[in-house]
Amino acid sequence: MISVIGYYTTKFGELWEKSLFDLVEEALFGVLKECHIEKGKIDAIFFGNMMGGTLENNLHSPSKIAEIMGTHIPVFRAEAACASGGAAFHLAHTYLEANTGKTVLVIGAEKMTDYSPEEVISALTAASSGEEQESGLTFPGLYAMMAQVYLQKYNYSKIDLSYVSYKNHYHGSLNDKAHFRKKISLQEIESSPLVAYPLGVLDCSPISDGASAIIMTSDKTLLSKQKKAIRVLSTEVATDTISLKNRKFIDGIEATQIAGKKAFHKAGIEPDSIQIAELHDCFSIAELFAMEDLGFWKKGSAGKRISLLETMLNSGNSLTTNTSGGLKAAGHPVGATGIKQIGEVYLQLTKQAGSRQVKNAKKGLTHNIGGSGGTAIVSIFGV
Amino acid sequence: MMISPVKIWRRQKEIRSLLHKKGTVLSWTFIYAPPEEFKKNAPYAVVLVALDNGERAFGQLVECDKDSIKIGMPVYSILRKVREVSAEDIIAYGLKFKPYEKN
Repeated sequence: MISVIGYYTTKFGELWEKSLFDLVEEALFGVLKECHIEKGKIDAIFFGNMMGGTLENNLHSPSKIAEIMGTHIPVFRAEAACASGGAAFHLAHTYLEANTGKTVLVIGAEKMTDYSPEEVISALTAASSGEEQESGLTFPGLYAMMAQVYLQKYNYSKIDLSYVSYKNHYHGSLNDKAHFRKKISLQEIESSPLVAYPLGVLDCSPISDGASAIIMTSDKTLLSKQKKAIRVLSTEVATDTISLKNRKFIDGIEATQIAGKKAFHKAGIEPDSIQIAELHDCFSIAELFAMEDLGFWKKGSAGKRISLLETMLNSGNSLTTNTSGGLKAAGHPVGATGIKQIGEVYLQLTKQAGSRQVKNAKKGLTHNIGGSGGTAIVSIFGV
Repeated sequence: MMISPVKIWRRQKEIRSLLHKKGTVLSWTFIYAPPEEFKKNAPYAVVLVALDNGERAFGQLVECDKDSIKIGMPVYSILRKVREVSAEDIIAYGLKFKPYEKN
Protein backbone atom coordinates (compact mmCIF):
# COMPACT_ATOMS: atom_id res chain seq x y z
CA MET A 1 0.00 0.00 0.00
CA ILE A 2 1.30 3.44 -0.97
CA SER A 3 0.51 6.45 1.22
CA VAL A 4 0.89 10.21 1.14
CA ILE A 5 2.32 11.23 4.52
CA GLY A 6 2.81 14.97 4.25
CA TYR A 7 2.27 18.15 2.24
CA TYR A 8 3.72 21.62 2.01
CA THR A 9 2.98 24.42 -0.41
CA THR A 10 4.38 27.89 -0.86
CA LYS A 11 1.94 30.73 -1.24
CA PHE A 12 0.69 30.94 -4.84
CA GLY A 13 0.73 34.34 -6.54
CA GLU A 14 2.97 36.98 -8.03
CA LEU A 15 6.07 36.23 -5.99
CA TRP A 16 8.55 38.71 -7.48
CA GLU A 17 11.17 38.22 -4.81
CA LYS A 18 11.47 34.47 -5.50
CA SER A 19 12.98 32.52 -8.41
CA LEU A 20 11.83 29.08 -9.60
CA PHE A 21 14.50 27.38 -7.49
CA ASP A 22 13.84 29.59 -4.43
CA LEU A 23 10.30 28.24 -4.56
CA VAL A 24 11.56 24.67 -5.08
CA GLU A 25 13.89 25.03 -2.07
CA GLU A 26 11.11 26.32 0.18
CA ALA A 27 8.78 23.45 -0.78
CA LEU A 28 11.49 20.74 -0.55
CA PHE A 29 12.60 21.65 2.97
CA GLY A 30 9.07 22.65 3.96
CA VAL A 31 7.65 19.19 3.32
CA LEU A 32 10.58 17.42 5.02
CA LYS A 33 10.02 19.56 8.13
CA GLU A 34 6.26 18.99 8.01
CA CYS A 35 6.82 15.20 8.06
CA HIS A 36 9.76 15.33 10.55
CA ILE A 37 11.82 13.33 8.06
CA GLU A 38 15.57 13.66 7.46
CA LYS A 39 16.53 14.22 3.83
CA GLY A 40 18.56 10.97 3.98
CA LYS A 41 15.28 9.02 4.18
CA ILE A 42 14.25 10.15 0.70
CA ASP A 43 15.10 7.58 -2.01
CA ALA A 44 14.10 9.58 -5.12
CA ILE A 45 12.54 12.88 -6.19
CA PHE A 46 10.04 13.46 -8.99
CA PHE A 47 9.68 17.03 -10.26
CA GLY A 48 6.71 18.35 -12.25
CA ASN A 49 7.53 21.46 -14.30
CA MET A 50 6.49 22.66 -17.73
CA MET A 51 8.30 25.84 -18.74
CA GLY A 52 11.71 25.86 -17.03
CA GLY A 53 13.19 25.27 -20.50
CA THR A 54 11.02 27.48 -22.70
CA LEU A 55 10.65 30.52 -20.43
CA GLU A 56 13.72 30.52 -18.21
CA ASN A 57 16.27 28.62 -20.31
CA ASN A 58 16.78 26.32 -17.32
CA LEU A 59 16.95 22.65 -18.25
CA HIS A 60 18.51 19.76 -16.32
CA SER A 61 16.49 20.82 -13.27
CA PRO A 62 17.00 17.39 -11.60
CA SER A 63 20.67 18.24 -11.13
CA LYS A 64 19.78 21.68 -9.75
CA ILE A 65 17.40 20.05 -7.27
CA ALA A 66 20.17 17.64 -6.18
CA GLU A 67 22.40 20.69 -5.62
CA ILE A 68 19.76 22.46 -3.52
CA MET A 69 19.06 19.39 -1.43
CA GLY A 70 22.68 18.26 -1.16
CA THR A 71 22.04 14.71 -2.33
CA HIS A 72 23.03 12.12 -4.96
CA ILE A 73 19.68 10.29 -5.19
CA PRO A 74 17.82 9.88 -8.52
CA VAL A 75 15.80 12.97 -9.50
CA PHE A 76 13.48 13.02 -12.52
CA ARG A 77 11.51 15.78 -14.23
CA ALA A 78 8.07 15.06 -15.74
CA GLU A 79 6.46 17.31 -18.34
CA ALA A 80 2.90 17.00 -19.60
CA ALA A 81 1.91 20.68 -19.94
CA CYS A 82 -0.55 21.59 -17.15
CA ALA A 83 -0.61 17.93 -16.04
CA SER A 84 3.15 17.95 -15.27
CA GLY A 85 2.49 17.75 -11.50
CA GLY A 86 0.05 14.87 -11.89
CA ALA A 87 2.49 13.10 -14.20
CA ALA A 88 5.30 13.42 -11.63
CA PHE A 89 2.97 11.99 -8.98
CA HIS A 90 1.90 9.11 -11.22
CA LEU A 91 5.53 8.21 -12.04
CA ALA A 92 6.48 8.41 -8.35
CA HIS A 93 3.62 6.03 -7.57
CA THR A 94 4.83 3.61 -10.26
CA TYR A 95 8.36 3.83 -8.78
CA LEU A 96 7.02 2.89 -5.34
CA GLU A 97 4.98 0.00 -6.75
CA ALA A 98 8.21 -1.36 -8.19
CA ASN A 99 10.27 -0.68 -5.03
CA THR A 100 8.74 -1.68 -1.70
CA GLY A 101 9.97 -0.04 1.47
CA LYS A 102 10.97 3.21 -0.26
CA THR A 103 10.06 6.86 0.27
CA VAL A 104 9.90 9.55 -2.43
CA LEU A 105 9.37 13.28 -2.56
CA VAL A 106 7.16 14.69 -5.33
CA ILE A 107 7.39 18.38 -6.07
CA GLY A 108 5.78 20.60 -8.67
CA ALA A 109 6.79 24.19 -9.38
CA GLU A 110 6.44 26.95 -11.95
CA LYS A 111 7.73 30.52 -12.24
CA MET A 112 5.57 32.53 -14.64
CA THR A 113 5.37 36.17 -13.60
CA ASP A 114 8.87 37.28 -14.65
CA TYR A 115 7.58 37.61 -18.24
CA SER A 116 4.96 39.61 -20.14
CA PRO A 117 1.54 37.95 -20.60
CA GLU A 118 2.25 37.57 -24.35
CA GLU A 119 5.55 35.76 -23.67
CA VAL A 120 3.86 33.43 -21.16
CA ILE A 121 0.98 32.78 -23.57
CA SER A 122 3.50 31.92 -26.34
CA ALA A 123 5.32 29.52 -24.00
CA LEU A 124 2.07 27.85 -22.89
CA THR A 125 0.92 27.60 -26.51
CA ALA A 126 3.96 25.42 -27.24
CA ALA A 127 1.84 22.63 -25.69
CA SER A 128 -0.74 22.80 -28.51
CA SER A 129 -0.48 21.44 -32.08
CA GLY A 130 1.57 23.24 -34.75
CA GLU A 131 -1.57 24.04 -36.72
CA GLU A 132 -3.29 25.49 -33.65
CA GLN A 133 -0.23 27.67 -33.03
CA GLU A 134 -0.15 28.80 -36.66
CA SER A 135 -3.77 29.97 -36.51
CA GLY A 136 -3.07 32.18 -33.46
CA LEU A 137 -5.03 29.98 -31.06
CA THR A 138 -4.29 30.04 -27.32
CA PHE A 139 -5.46 27.70 -24.56
CA PRO A 140 -8.29 30.08 -23.59
CA GLY A 141 -9.15 30.04 -27.32
CA LEU A 142 -9.23 26.23 -27.50
CA TYR A 143 -11.42 25.94 -24.38
CA ALA A 144 -13.59 28.77 -25.74
CA MET A 145 -14.19 26.68 -28.89
CA MET A 146 -15.10 23.69 -26.73
CA ALA A 147 -17.42 25.89 -24.63
CA GLN A 148 -19.18 27.24 -27.75
CA VAL A 149 -20.16 23.71 -28.84
CA TYR A 150 -21.33 22.73 -25.32
CA LEU A 151 -23.34 25.92 -24.73
CA GLN A 152 -25.10 25.66 -28.09
CA LYS A 153 -25.75 21.90 -27.89
CA TYR A 154 -27.34 22.03 -24.43
CA ASN A 155 -28.88 25.46 -24.77
CA TYR A 156 -26.89 27.29 -22.13
CA SER A 157 -25.32 30.74 -22.24
CA LYS A 158 -22.09 32.38 -21.05
CA ILE A 159 -23.78 33.31 -17.74
CA ASP A 160 -24.13 29.64 -16.80
CA LEU A 161 -20.33 29.29 -16.73
CA SER A 162 -19.91 32.07 -14.15
CA TYR A 163 -21.00 29.95 -11.19
CA VAL A 164 -17.77 27.91 -11.37
CA SER A 165 -15.61 31.00 -10.77
CA TYR A 166 -18.06 32.34 -8.17
CA LYS A 167 -17.83 29.13 -6.13
CA ASN A 168 -14.07 28.70 -6.50
CA HIS A 169 -13.32 32.29 -5.52
CA TYR A 170 -15.43 31.81 -2.40
CA HIS A 171 -13.36 28.70 -1.55
CA GLY A 172 -10.14 30.58 -2.36
CA SER A 173 -11.10 33.27 0.15
CA LEU A 174 -10.74 30.58 2.85
CA ASN A 175 -7.29 29.36 1.69
CA ASP A 176 -4.36 31.43 2.98
CA LYS A 177 -2.06 29.97 0.27
CA ALA A 178 -4.38 30.99 -2.59
CA HIS A 179 -3.35 33.54 -5.23
CA PHE A 180 -6.73 35.32 -4.93
CA ARG A 181 -8.54 35.57 -1.61
CA LYS A 182 -11.27 37.89 -2.81
CA LYS A 183 -14.86 36.82 -3.26
CA ILE A 184 -16.27 37.97 -6.59
CA SER A 185 -19.86 38.51 -7.70
CA LEU A 186 -21.60 36.81 -10.61
CA GLN A 187 -21.99 40.18 -12.24
CA GLU A 188 -18.24 40.90 -12.07
CA ILE A 189 -17.54 37.54 -13.73
CA GLU A 190 -20.10 38.01 -16.51
CA SER A 191 -18.84 41.49 -17.34
CA SER A 192 -15.10 40.79 -17.05
CA PRO A 193 -13.00 41.72 -20.13
CA LEU A 194 -12.94 39.01 -22.81
CA VAL A 195 -9.86 36.81 -23.24
CA ALA A 196 -11.30 34.48 -25.89
CA TYR A 197 -15.03 34.74 -26.53
CA PRO A 198 -17.09 33.53 -24.64
CA LEU A 199 -14.48 33.31 -21.87
CA GLY A 200 -13.74 36.46 -19.88
CA VAL A 201 -10.73 37.02 -17.66
CA LEU A 202 -12.74 35.83 -14.62
CA ASP A 203 -13.47 32.54 -16.43
CA CYS A 204 -9.71 31.90 -16.68
CA SER A 205 -7.12 30.68 -14.19
CA PRO A 206 -4.34 33.22 -13.62
CA ILE A 207 -0.60 33.25 -14.36
CA SER A 208 0.98 32.36 -10.99
CA ASP A 209 4.22 31.41 -9.28
CA GLY A 210 4.35 28.63 -6.71
CA ALA A 211 5.69 25.26 -5.61
CA SER A 212 3.98 22.36 -3.82
CA ALA A 213 5.42 19.13 -2.47
CA ILE A 214 4.26 15.84 -0.97
CA ILE A 215 6.07 12.83 0.49
CA MET A 216 4.88 9.32 -0.40
CA THR A 217 6.00 6.04 1.03
CA SER A 218 5.71 2.28 0.67
CA ASP A 219 7.80 1.83 3.86
CA LYS A 220 5.57 0.27 6.55
CA THR A 221 7.86 1.23 9.43
CA LEU A 222 7.99 4.85 8.40
CA LEU A 223 4.23 4.90 7.77
CA SER A 224 3.49 3.55 11.26
CA LYS A 225 5.29 6.61 12.75
CA GLN A 226 3.24 9.10 10.74
CA LYS A 227 0.07 10.33 12.43
CA LYS A 228 -1.50 11.83 9.35
CA ALA A 229 -1.52 9.70 6.21
CA ILE A 230 -3.86 8.95 3.32
CA ARG A 231 -3.80 5.95 1.00
CA VAL A 232 -3.55 6.10 -2.78
CA LEU A 233 -6.43 3.91 -3.96
CA SER A 234 -5.72 4.39 -7.67
CA THR A 235 -4.02 6.68 -10.17
CA GLU A 236 -4.66 6.41 -13.91
CA VAL A 237 -3.43 8.31 -16.96
CA ALA A 238 -5.10 8.57 -20.36
CA THR A 239 -3.95 10.47 -23.45
CA ASP A 240 -5.52 11.78 -26.65
CA THR A 241 -4.58 13.74 -29.79
CA ILE A 242 -2.67 16.96 -29.07
CA SER A 243 -4.89 18.79 -31.58
CA LEU A 244 -8.52 19.41 -30.80
CA LYS A 245 -9.50 18.98 -34.45
CA ASN A 246 -9.46 15.19 -34.66
CA ARG A 247 -11.14 14.39 -31.33
CA LYS A 248 -14.33 12.31 -31.33
CA PHE A 249 -16.15 15.17 -29.59
CA ILE A 250 -15.17 18.55 -28.18
CA ASP A 251 -18.04 19.21 -25.76
CA GLY A 252 -16.14 17.21 -23.15
CA ILE A 253 -12.77 15.48 -22.68
CA GLU A 254 -12.54 11.81 -23.63
CA ALA A 255 -9.19 11.30 -21.85
CA THR A 256 -10.92 12.27 -18.56
CA GLN A 257 -13.64 9.71 -19.22
CA ILE A 258 -11.09 6.94 -19.86
CA ALA A 259 -8.79 7.77 -16.92
CA GLY A 260 -11.77 8.32 -14.60
CA LYS A 261 -13.43 5.02 -15.46
CA LYS A 262 -10.18 3.11 -14.90
CA ALA A 263 -9.45 4.95 -11.62
CA PHE A 264 -12.92 4.20 -10.19
CA HIS A 265 -12.67 0.57 -11.31
CA LYS A 266 -9.25 0.08 -9.72
CA ALA A 267 -10.29 1.80 -6.47
CA GLY A 268 -13.42 -0.37 -6.45
CA ILE A 269 -15.77 2.54 -5.78
CA GLU A 270 -18.42 4.56 -7.61
CA PRO A 271 -18.43 8.35 -8.12
CA ASP A 272 -21.06 8.77 -5.37
CA SER A 273 -18.53 7.56 -2.77
CA ILE A 274 -16.37 10.69 -3.26
CA GLN A 275 -16.88 13.63 -0.85
CA ILE A 276 -14.19 15.97 -2.12
CA ALA A 277 -12.65 16.49 -5.55
CA GLU A 278 -10.02 18.85 -6.87
CA LEU A 279 -10.90 19.33 -10.53
CA HIS A 280 -8.86 20.94 -13.30
CA ASP A 281 -10.77 24.23 -13.70
CA CYS A 282 -8.19 25.97 -15.92
CA PHE A 283 -11.27 27.64 -17.45
CA SER A 284 -14.82 27.71 -16.05
CA ILE A 285 -16.09 25.35 -18.77
CA ALA A 286 -13.43 22.77 -17.79
CA GLU A 287 -14.98 22.12 -14.36
CA LEU A 288 -18.36 21.46 -15.99
CA PHE A 289 -16.71 18.99 -18.39
CA ALA A 290 -14.90 17.29 -15.47
CA MET A 291 -18.16 16.87 -13.50
CA GLU A 292 -19.79 15.16 -16.48
CA ASP A 293 -16.79 13.21 -17.80
CA LEU A 294 -16.02 11.74 -14.37
CA GLY A 295 -19.64 10.60 -14.00
CA PHE A 296 -20.62 12.89 -11.12
CA TRP A 297 -23.30 14.59 -13.24
CA LYS A 298 -25.20 13.46 -16.34
CA LYS A 299 -23.96 14.69 -19.74
CA GLY A 300 -25.50 18.08 -20.52
CA SER A 301 -26.75 18.71 -16.97
CA ALA A 302 -23.70 20.52 -15.52
CA GLY A 303 -24.72 23.93 -16.86
CA LYS A 304 -27.90 23.73 -14.79
CA ARG A 305 -26.56 21.98 -11.70
CA ILE A 306 -23.63 24.38 -11.25
CA SER A 307 -26.12 27.27 -11.04
CA LEU A 308 -27.63 25.58 -7.97
CA LEU A 309 -24.11 25.67 -6.41
CA GLU A 310 -24.51 22.02 -5.41
CA THR A 311 -20.75 21.53 -5.03
CA MET A 312 -20.06 24.62 -2.90
CA LEU A 313 -18.78 24.28 0.65
CA ASN A 314 -21.59 23.72 3.20
CA SER A 315 -24.23 23.29 0.48
CA GLY A 316 -25.39 20.18 2.33
CA ASN A 317 -24.75 17.91 -0.66
CA SER A 318 -22.49 14.87 -0.71
CA LEU A 319 -19.73 16.26 -2.98
CA THR A 320 -17.71 19.49 -2.61
CA THR A 321 -15.33 20.48 -5.42
CA ASN A 322 -12.20 22.64 -5.49
CA THR A 323 -12.07 23.60 -1.82
CA SER A 324 -8.54 24.95 -2.45
CA GLY A 325 -10.10 27.56 -4.73
CA GLY A 326 -9.24 25.45 -7.76
CA LEU A 327 -6.90 26.71 -10.46
CA LYS A 328 -9.14 29.74 -10.77
CA ALA A 329 -8.66 31.24 -7.29
CA ALA A 330 -5.80 29.25 -5.71
CA GLY A 331 -3.77 30.06 -8.82
CA HIS A 332 -2.19 27.94 -11.53
CA PRO A 333 1.61 27.71 -11.32
CA VAL A 334 1.41 25.01 -13.99
CA GLY A 335 3.77 22.32 -12.64
CA ALA A 336 2.65 22.85 -9.03
CA THR A 337 -1.10 22.48 -9.70
CA GLY A 338 -1.27 18.66 -9.85
CA ILE A 339 0.60 18.40 -6.54
CA LYS A 340 -1.44 21.13 -4.84
CA GLN A 341 -4.60 19.21 -5.80
CA ILE A 342 -3.28 16.08 -4.03
CA GLY A 343 -2.16 18.25 -1.10
CA GLU A 344 -5.65 19.71 -0.73
CA VAL A 345 -7.19 16.23 -0.69
CA TYR A 346 -4.56 15.26 1.92
CA LEU A 347 -5.49 18.25 4.12
CA GLN A 348 -9.20 17.48 3.79
CA LEU A 349 -8.94 13.74 4.49
CA THR A 350 -6.63 14.32 7.50
CA LYS A 351 -8.89 17.11 8.85
CA GLN A 352 -6.31 19.89 8.54
CA ALA A 353 -8.25 22.11 6.12
CA GLY A 354 -9.30 24.68 8.73
CA SER A 355 -12.20 26.95 7.80
CA ARG A 356 -12.72 25.13 4.47
CA GLN A 357 -12.87 21.65 6.07
CA VAL A 358 -15.49 19.33 4.58
CA LYS A 359 -17.04 17.27 7.38
CA ASN A 360 -16.65 13.48 7.24
CA ALA A 361 -14.58 13.45 4.07
CA LYS A 362 -13.33 9.86 3.64
CA LYS A 363 -12.62 9.63 -0.09
CA GLY A 364 -11.14 12.25 -2.40
CA LEU A 365 -10.33 12.56 -6.10
CA THR A 366 -7.89 14.67 -8.11
CA HIS A 367 -8.25 15.45 -11.82
CA ASN A 368 -5.32 17.04 -13.66
CA ILE A 369 -5.43 17.90 -17.38
CA GLY A 370 -2.64 18.69 -19.83
CA GLY A 371 -3.39 21.02 -22.73
CA SER A 372 -6.88 20.89 -24.21
CA GLY A 373 -7.27 17.29 -22.98
CA GLY A 374 -4.27 15.52 -24.54
CA THR A 375 -3.37 14.15 -21.08
CA ALA A 376 -5.72 13.38 -18.19
CA ILE A 377 -4.65 12.05 -14.79
CA VAL A 378 -7.27 10.91 -12.29
CA SER A 379 -6.29 9.70 -8.82
CA ILE A 380 -8.39 8.51 -5.89
CA PHE A 381 -7.41 8.64 -2.23
CA GLY A 382 -8.91 7.33 1.01
CA VAL A 383 -8.45 7.17 4.77
CA MET B 1 11.72 33.49 -31.47
CA MET B 2 12.65 32.80 -35.11
CA ILE B 3 10.67 30.25 -37.09
CA SER B 4 13.06 28.00 -39.02
CA PRO B 5 12.75 28.58 -42.80
CA VAL B 6 12.98 24.80 -43.23
CA LYS B 7 9.92 24.36 -41.01
CA ILE B 8 8.01 26.87 -43.14
CA TRP B 9 9.08 25.04 -46.33
CA ARG B 10 7.87 21.66 -44.96
CA ARG B 11 4.54 23.17 -43.86
CA GLN B 12 3.95 24.77 -47.29
CA LYS B 13 3.66 21.31 -48.83
CA GLU B 14 0.82 20.38 -46.46
CA ILE B 15 -0.99 23.70 -46.83
CA ARG B 16 -1.22 23.37 -50.63
CA SER B 17 -3.64 20.44 -50.35
CA LEU B 18 -5.92 22.37 -47.99
CA LEU B 19 -6.33 25.48 -50.13
CA HIS B 20 -9.53 26.56 -51.92
CA LYS B 21 -11.66 24.01 -50.13
CA LYS B 22 -15.21 24.59 -48.96
CA GLY B 23 -16.36 23.65 -45.49
CA THR B 24 -18.50 24.58 -42.50
CA VAL B 25 -17.60 26.08 -39.12
CA LEU B 26 -17.65 23.48 -36.30
CA SER B 27 -16.71 26.03 -33.65
CA TRP B 28 -15.23 29.50 -33.34
CA THR B 29 -13.76 31.99 -30.92
CA PHE B 30 -12.49 35.54 -30.87
CA ILE B 31 -8.98 35.95 -29.44
CA TYR B 32 -8.41 39.11 -27.38
CA ALA B 33 -5.24 37.96 -25.50
CA PRO B 34 -2.87 36.69 -28.24
CA PRO B 35 0.56 35.07 -28.19
CA GLU B 36 3.52 37.44 -28.74
CA GLU B 37 3.76 36.85 -32.52
CA PHE B 38 0.07 37.65 -33.14
CA LYS B 39 -0.04 40.75 -30.95
CA LYS B 40 -0.53 43.20 -33.81
CA ASN B 41 -3.48 41.26 -35.33
CA ALA B 42 -5.57 41.05 -32.14
CA PRO B 43 -8.46 40.79 -31.69
CA TYR B 44 -9.08 38.16 -34.37
CA ALA B 45 -11.52 35.30 -35.05
CA VAL B 46 -10.35 31.66 -35.27
CA VAL B 47 -12.51 28.85 -36.63
CA LEU B 48 -12.41 25.06 -36.59
CA VAL B 49 -13.68 23.92 -39.98
CA ALA B 50 -15.02 20.60 -41.29
CA LEU B 51 -13.92 20.67 -44.92
CA ASP B 52 -16.26 19.08 -47.45
CA ASN B 53 -13.55 16.49 -48.26
CA GLY B 54 -13.80 15.15 -44.69
CA GLU B 55 -10.65 16.80 -43.32
CA ARG B 56 -10.64 19.32 -40.48
CA ALA B 57 -8.56 22.48 -40.20
CA PHE B 58 -8.00 25.53 -38.01
CA GLY B 59 -7.51 29.04 -39.33
CA GLN B 60 -8.31 32.69 -38.75
CA LEU B 61 -11.56 33.92 -40.25
CA VAL B 62 -11.11 37.08 -42.31
CA GLU B 63 -13.31 39.44 -44.31
CA CYS B 64 -16.22 38.69 -42.01
CA ASP B 65 -18.48 40.80 -39.84
CA LYS B 66 -17.86 39.82 -36.19
CA ASP B 67 -21.56 39.48 -35.36
CA SER B 68 -22.28 37.16 -38.26
CA ILE B 69 -19.93 34.34 -37.17
CA LYS B 70 -21.80 31.21 -36.12
CA ILE B 71 -21.45 27.44 -35.91
CA GLY B 72 -22.51 25.89 -39.22
CA MET B 73 -21.64 28.89 -41.44
CA PRO B 74 -20.09 28.08 -44.84
CA VAL B 75 -16.45 29.14 -45.33
CA TYR B 76 -13.65 28.43 -47.79
CA SER B 77 -9.90 28.24 -47.35
CA ILE B 78 -7.47 30.84 -48.71
CA LEU B 79 -3.73 31.54 -48.54
CA ARG B 80 -2.74 34.47 -46.34
CA LYS B 81 0.24 35.77 -44.41
CA VAL B 82 0.02 34.14 -40.97
CA ARG B 83 3.16 35.05 -39.04
CA GLU B 84 5.92 37.58 -39.32
CA VAL B 85 8.08 37.41 -36.24
CA SER B 86 10.43 40.25 -37.17
CA ALA B 87 11.23 42.30 -40.26
CA GLU B 88 14.31 40.16 -40.97
CA ASP B 89 12.48 36.82 -40.86
CA ILE B 90 10.89 34.81 -43.64
CA ILE B 91 7.18 35.58 -43.78
CA ALA B 92 5.09 32.47 -43.12
CA TYR B 93 2.03 32.01 -45.31
CA GLY B 94 -0.72 29.68 -44.26
CA LEU B 95 -4.37 28.84 -44.11
CA LYS B 96 -7.14 31.32 -43.37
CA PHE B 97 -10.87 31.20 -44.08
CA LYS B 98 -13.40 33.50 -45.69
CA PRO B 99 -17.19 33.26 -45.55
CA TYR B 100 -19.14 32.54 -48.76
CA GLU B 101 -22.80 32.51 -49.67
CA LYS B 102 -24.22 29.04 -50.27
CA ASN B 103 -26.64 29.00 -53.19
